[in-house]
Amino acid sequence: MAKDIEISTSESKFLIEALRQGLRPDLRKFEEIRDVGITFGKDYGDVTVTMGKTKVHCRISCSIAQPYEDRPFEGLFYISTETSPMAGAQFENGNNTGEDEVLCSRIIEKAVRRSGALDVEGLCIVAGSKCWAVRADVHFLDCDGGFIDVSCIAVMCGLLHFRKPDVTVSGEQVTIHPVEEREPVPLGVLHIPICVTFSFFNPEDAEENIKGESNNEICLIDATLKEELLRDGTLTVTLNKNREVVQVSKAGGLPMDALTLMDCCHKAFKITEKLTDKITEVLKKDIESRNQHSAMLSSENARVS
Amino acid sequence: MSRLEIYSPEGLRVDGRRWNELRRLECSINTHANASDGSSYLEQGNNKIITLVNGPQEPKLRSQTNVTKAVLSIAVNITRFSKTERSKSSHRNERRVLEMQTALARTFEKNILLHLYPRTQIDIQIHVLQQDGGLMGSLINGITLALIDAGIAIYDYISGVSIGLYDTTPLLDLNTVEESAMSSVTLGVMGRSEKLSLLLVEDKLPLDTMESVLAIGIAGSHRIRELMDKELRKHGEKRLANISSNQ
Amino acid sequence: MSSCQTCKDPSKVLQSIMSIDVLSVTKRQEGFQFVNEVESESDSDVEMTNNDEKPESNTIANDGTIVTPGELVTDDPVWMRGHGTYFLENQTYASVAGTVSRVNRLLSVIPLRGRYTPETGDHVIGRIAEVGNRRWKVDIGAKQHAVLMLGSVNLPGGVLRRKSESDELQMRSFLKEGDLLNAEVQSLFQDGSASLHTRSLKYGKLRNGTFLQVPSPLVVRSKKHTHNLPGNVTVILGVNGFVWLRKTSEIDTANNTSSVAGRNAAALSGASGEYKPGSNSVSITRLEEESSWEIYSDKNDPISESMKRTITRYSNVIKALAHCEIGLTEARVVAAYEASMTFSHVGSLIERENMESIGQDVINAEKMRGNS
Repeated sequence: MAKDIEISTSESKFLIEALRQGLRPDLRKFEEIRDVGITFGKDYGDVTVTMGKTKVHCRISCSIAQPYEDRPFEGLFYISTETSPMAGAQFENGNNTGEDEVLCSRIIEKAVRRSGALDVEGLCIVAGSKCWAVRADVHFLDCDGGFIDVSCIAVMCGLLHFRKPDVTVSGEQVTIHPVEEREPVPLGVLHIPICVTFSFFNPEDAEENIKGESNNEICLIDATLKEELLRDGTLTVTLNKNREVVQVSKAGGLPMDALTLMDCCHKAFKITEKLTDKITEVLKKDIESRNQHSAMLSSENARVS
Repeated sequence: MSRLEIYSPEGLRVDGRRWNELRRLECSINTHANASDGSSYLEQGNNKIITLVNGPQEPKLRSQTNVTKAVLSIAVNITRFSKTERSKSSHRNERRVLEMQTALARTFEKNILLHLYPRTQIDIQIHVLQQDGGLMGSLINGITLALIDAGIAIYDYISGVSIGLYDTTPLLDLNTVEESAMSSVTLGVMGRSEKLSLLLVEDKLPLDTMESVLAIGIAGSHRIRELMDKELRKHGEKRLANISSNQ
Repeated sequence: MSSCQTCKDPSKVLQSIMSIDVLSVTKRQEGFQFVNEVESESDSDVEMTNNDEKPESNTIANDGTIVTPGELVTDDPVWMRGHGTYFLENQTYASVAGTVSRVNRLLSVIPLRGRYTPETGDHVIGRIAEVGNRRWKVDIGAKQHAVLMLGSVNLPGGVLRRKSESDELQMRSFLKEGDLLNAEVQSLFQDGSASLHTRSLKYGKLRNGTFLQVPSPLVVRSKKHTHNLPGNVTVILGVNGFVWLRKTSEIDTANNTSSVAGRNAAALSGASGEYKPGSNSVSITRLEEESSWEIYSDKNDPISESMKRTITRYSNVIKALAHCEIGLTEARVVAAYEASMTFSHVGSLIERENMESIGQDVINAEKMRGNS
């Protein structure tokens, strides 16, 4: 992702040599992802996701807007992934046309928006005139590789966590009930896409990679920034728990054997299952902790019992 | 759209092809001898693409110089009239196009022997005159041909094709109608091997069907490679005959 | 039914699925006929790269056969790998589309097309691209700009004079961006770029004529690249495919009478009256000293309209020869010029049919001469 950071030749040789011997600088296994930490803020749809040193914050917000003319029954959904120098000196302010920035935002876009992870039809209030516009703002707070994976988790957690104000429609009259008045309603999330990024390294020369039969390219999951800078190719697989491939992006880079890539997809599925479970678990805990107080304050309990 | 039968029970597609049938592929090289060092014109079905390669040449900007290898830049120009409806925007700085350019550049960076051309720049310009689905694959084929025409050293052909999955049947080389009706996979295959330089899946696809999709895609790409190779050899022989009779 | 592509693949899954043929249509004109994959043909194709197929292994593609990138040229380790190839262990593959060339043990593939690659001693024509620190950058149509050092040009006042700081400051008054010059490749740098020199009176700035460019392989390296053509026109065929046509000057006629380099200057001094009126000296040093600002002049001599027509005609016949991919030699240019006389309108020469007919005429004439 970073262009301007350069790694000295000796250091890169050292790293490649270490990889050849099966060692990663942080002593992880090749197919091991870093621990994912998900913390929710006070408000709904405010989530910070960390993975190793990488830290991404996502805020979901919503407002009322007019739907597109050609799609009157659908609400609007935007994802904005803008980098700023906050994440690292290599990112320019206001310049998001860099190769990696474009790829990152396109992959998130495909993984979440185009795959229909959010039920946009559920955002419709009055067909053709009023709908919810949901906005996901992704902020990159710290960069140590794996932006795509982390931001995808962050956006999905945000969407799952977010509650939009309840509305009642009577004829043309639309009433929005403030959160204080009425319990807000969750968004319709149809599936949880999880991105897993693989980094490929070529331990030998290019001729061996192209004409050789050994297929001994090194394949890492969840590379750190240093590994990202040195990698020869990358593959981002997005899957969900239903064994569906949502998106795959291997935009050039080191040519890899089709079977190895298939193998990567299957590995990614295992990680997807693990991460999806983790997300649902964390969400459940958060909701429990919120309900703890509401149960105490609510007058409903007394009446029901 | 929904009224159209994408794949009939008899096994025919909207344009009368079978599931494993490529579109008509015609190509020629050295089409713009004056404008560039290497050029190609490719028709893959209704995709019509001109590719121009300039270089290796002195970099336009000093800052772009790399002392160890050539710098590759790719510009994709999707003309406004390339689709049935004239587009309002020029597509120039669209993210989709930027993504394409990046993906193409990264694909060919690993295929060109860039270290042979230090301190130089290789410029590739692509003009899409007409598009009808599977654009990315056609762009790859066009670039491969133009690079070979320019005499730039590459490791092997890269041939590209798109494959869709209709229900459980993989369909080879999609056109626009099919592309909008189903999820598609784009491949860039290295030579006769099964190594994929480029792999893009843009819509949902069951994980377990992916293998069959890749298999037909690779077979299709190999076929495209053969067609391109045949054209190149034909051109080469014509040229040789010409030169030997003239010198 | 098993398709060739997976013959070597260990995977059962891919293999079972790949037992399908790919259909393809090649020409619409022939109706939508399906061309089934010719299995036998592609089988052998695959084995050529992957397996040691008996007839292909250990042998080498013959001299002059066409190979395309990624194709196995030989798996015999005795060959040294030259340009246009790459190798993995014993296998040598082509990296460009072209013809195989074997020189002793050196195996290379010569691309069908490509940019000009400079070699020491080449007589080239270039265009100044940049004026830099004590050097000019010259575009000679190669991969990189060539360098022309201030020290490798003849400056007004002769060779023996030292290059002073004032020369550095007025480099633009000698040669500026856009100027054309002819020069010789003096040496090559590590990365393949060239260093030029113009330390002879036959090199230097070009004027009194017109420029055109042809593909560089059409100009074959030879002893002489400046030719005086009938009609008082001189052509310089740069090895890089750059061609300059100009009105024949005294220097040209002088060069032509004595092509031995050492005597150039002496012969020239006799004919240099136009340049240095009043000087009758035969001393070389004297001449060098007197080589004046005129060699860097931007002014053209007066050129008559008929001369301009002749130059244009030559320019167009060279275009015609290039169109027919006929190598450029003095004899051919003259023959083509004569053949072009059937077309009275000079502009009509670059119409496709006319170019082809001229090319054909030249070839036929050559064949006749060869036979008789």
